[in-house]
Amino acid sequence: MRNRATTPLSRAKIRQSWSKYNLYNLQRFRNPSTSNRTFFQQKWTAKSAARAYHGEQVPETQWERMFSRRIRSVVPMDATRLAQDDGSIASSGRGSGIMSPWEMERAKKEKLTPFTQMTFAPLERRLDTAIFRALFASSTRQARQFVVHGAVTVNGKEMRYPGYLLNPGDMFQVDPERVMFATGAPKSKAERREGRIARQKTETTEEGEEGAAEEQKEGKEEQKPEAEEAQPEDTRETLKGLMAQAKTIMSKEKSDLPAKKKQELRGFQKAIKRVLSRSESSSILNDNLESQFSELMTLLKAKRVEKKADSKGKNTESQPAAESSEPVAETEAPDSRPGQALTEAFQKATENPAEEVDTSELTEDELDTLKRALIQMRDNPIDSTKPYATPWRPRDYMSAFAFIPRYLEVNQNICAAVYLRHPVARPGFSEVPSPFSESINTAAFAWYLRRR
Amino acid sequence: MPPRIQTQWVSNSVLPYLSPNTSTSVSSSSSSSCTSLPSSTSCPRRTFSSTPAAQTRLRSHMFEWLNSEGRKLQYHEPNVYKYVTNLKDLGKDSMGPEQLSKRPFPLNQNFVSEPILSEEMRAEIYKRVTQDKKSVRAVSIELKVDMRRVAAVVRLMEMEKAWRSQGKPLALPYARAIQEMVPTTRYSSDPRDQRPHESINDLPVHRLTDPQIFYPVSESRQFTRVDAGRVFSGAPRLPNSTVEEIANDPSTAISKATQKPHLIERVGKGDQETQVLQPADARIPHPYLVAHERDSINKPNERNENIKRFASRLQEEERIEAERKQATEQRRENRTRKVNPEDSRFEFRFTDVVVSKETTGADGRGHKAPGRRYGVPSYERKKGQVKIPTRVNV
Repeated sequence: MRNRATTPLSRAKIRQSWSKYNLYNLQRFRNPSTSNRTFFQQKWTAKSAARAYHGEQVPETQWERMFSRRIRSVVPMDATRLAQDDGSIASSGRGSGIMSPWEMERAKKEKLTPFTQMTFAPLERRLDTAIFRALFASSTRQARQFVVHGAVTVNGKEMRYPGYLLNPGDMFQVDPERVMFATGAPKSKAERREGRIARQKTETTEEGEEGAAEEQKEGKEEQKPEAEEAQPEDTRETLKGLMAQAKTIMSKEKSDLPAKKKQELRGFQKAIKRVLSRSESSSILNDNLESQFSELMTLLKAKRVEKKADSKGKNTESQPAAESSEPVAETEAPDSRPGQALTEAFQKATENPAEEVDTSELTEDELDTLKRALIQMRDNPIDSTKPYATPWRPRDYMSAFAFIPRYLEVNQNICAAVYLRHPVARPGFSEVPSPFSESINTAAFAWYLRRR
Repeated sequence: MPPRIQTQWVSNSVLPYLSPNTSTSVSSSSSSSCTSLPSSTSCPRRTFSSTPAAQTRLRSHMFEWLNSEGRKLQYHEPNVYKYVTNLKDLGKDSMGPEQLSKRPFPLNQNFVSEPILSEEMRAEIYKRVTQDKKSVRAVSIELKVDMRRVAAVVRLMEMEKAWRSQGKPLALPYARAIQEMVPTTRYSSDPRDQRPHESINDLPVHRLTDPQIFYPVSESRQFTRVDAGRVFSGAPRLPNSTVEEIANDPSTAISKATQKPHLIERVGKGDQETQVLQPADARIPHPYLVAHERDSINKPNERNENIKRFASRLQEEERIEAERKQATEQRRENRTRKVNPEDSRFEFRFTDVVVSKETTGADGRGHKAPGRRYGVPSYERKKGQVKIPTRVNV
């Protein structure tokens, strides 16, 4: 299907897309003027503006068949008010209810249900639109492509029809790799080049696998004596270096260039690998994080500092456990105090090397930092084979479009969502995400009402 | 995207000595970075050239905006809603994240980005349903989350658990970013601090209540929601004895309607036959909450007993629901005949087709019933018939 969904700048059309062109059009879009225009003209402009956004990929005749003048709505009920009144208050007097002045005030404040904002509700049932609404694709067109290319399952079965109308309770699931690609920042030129080189390397290794294996063996042999040499002399130094690296990684600053940050990350990764390769058990590199961490600690002879010794660090600020699993969420750098304490400890250790045990003692915060850096490295690794910039970060301008409507329940970890129910209108709110005001949607509704 | 015109400044590249400043700046920068600078200084318009302009005026305006105001929206910040509506407020120090608008579309006053469940909240729902063995209804009331959402969360978490145990790669950084961009409902261990996620007692607007009906009633009569429902569905007035019965014990009347829906009175003939429209108390998802409120109004001193009564009502509702489910399952079992050949991996299940009034409809033209019937053309092969599946069974 040819993509006719252009975002022209001359006539602002809003599309279901996260592109910056669309963002620009969205912020400058104004209601079309109605003065000096016939009702037909008003309806026509309203309908064409609305259709450029809602179901632009759906042919007009198909949408006309889908259109329904019956709009679903709900009224939230208050159990207390239902219990107080069996309805006779509303029908008392001469039939319109007897209300006290403050009740009249409240009744005036109650918002109207925006029925016409739900004009395009039937389109939200479509699978491609639902994928876009669940923030799994950066545009409906892309969502459609995911479906057609077989990356989407509905209730566990592959579904290749973007026009499949979801039923309440249907679970749809998109391949996480595709989602990361759709929502992640694109690769830069250098990263693309890296990926190419990596791909070429793998090809050559596949060709000469035997040779590569030999090389690896040699490399290991080379590494081993090196490690053995290194081990006695500087566990302390290694730990120090690791801590410094972990700290720079975790103190993410916006001004940091992605390339520089990446270099740091890669250095840290290498250091960790080097340390872990000293371990006797060979499987530790592929093992889970806990065992890796404990192995690291034993190898570096690091200890958790005693509570009383913590006085010099004085770290009252302890982050909750939930945050520790969210390393990227950490924008504020772990405060400078533990770092100072650490450097002090290192200085002391270098001054009098007799007290070796003290030096490798770490405070809770430092351990935490190291651990978080490790977690981040595992969850969001640098991998030039991926089609998106690594470590993954959301694409630019994504947050301006990020919302999840109530009729979907999304689990982002597995990129799956459940279509709970059809979208409904409620007093003051409509659940159909539409960038247009009520005046446009009402005119569009009136357009599709004709001949019906 | 509008058609892009090559940013090569043809004459400049050919004759670099004509204007050395511009040529160097252009050759070093990509199209977007060229326009990122104020267009009047670094990318001057070429008035006397016949070569197409590098940028249209509109495009340069766009990049100007993207590099000035739009810059604020480029990167996400945790718990700051960077919607277009907030463009003016984003840079200000006086505006906290709480004061920022949650409307993603500046023109649409009726759409807000509503909070999603946070990770802890999902974990808590999953724990209560699977470990504590609480019913979906109970969890829904406790945490103020819609019942369908509770069920969906459990289903999705179950899948996530399976994926984790299988070692499938998850989209963890993506999930984290989304949780930061979108407002979330946090879980609080203290139930009094727990913010409700959504309204759980939503009454769907019934088709029968659409028309306005002028219905004269004597002033002396107590006209209640039950009566209004009967008027809407065109049912005759209830006898006085029944009215009194309902007025004396409304909770029992409502629970009768919710627990035995097949006993609800029907009106109309043939195709038009429908159930009498029930009052709102019976059609909301949690009718026992109303009964509980009624108890606490009528018997304000028996607080503990009220709570016990509420628990027993909830249990009764759950029991009846389970029974109903089991009965339907049993009926389906009875309908299907299972054949399991000895040397086969498969079990074959046969169900008889039914051509009855239920499947063909009152006029005998229903599409559900299989087979050919006289006067009912099959549109199966007709042009324009949509062939994509309408349901996917698990």
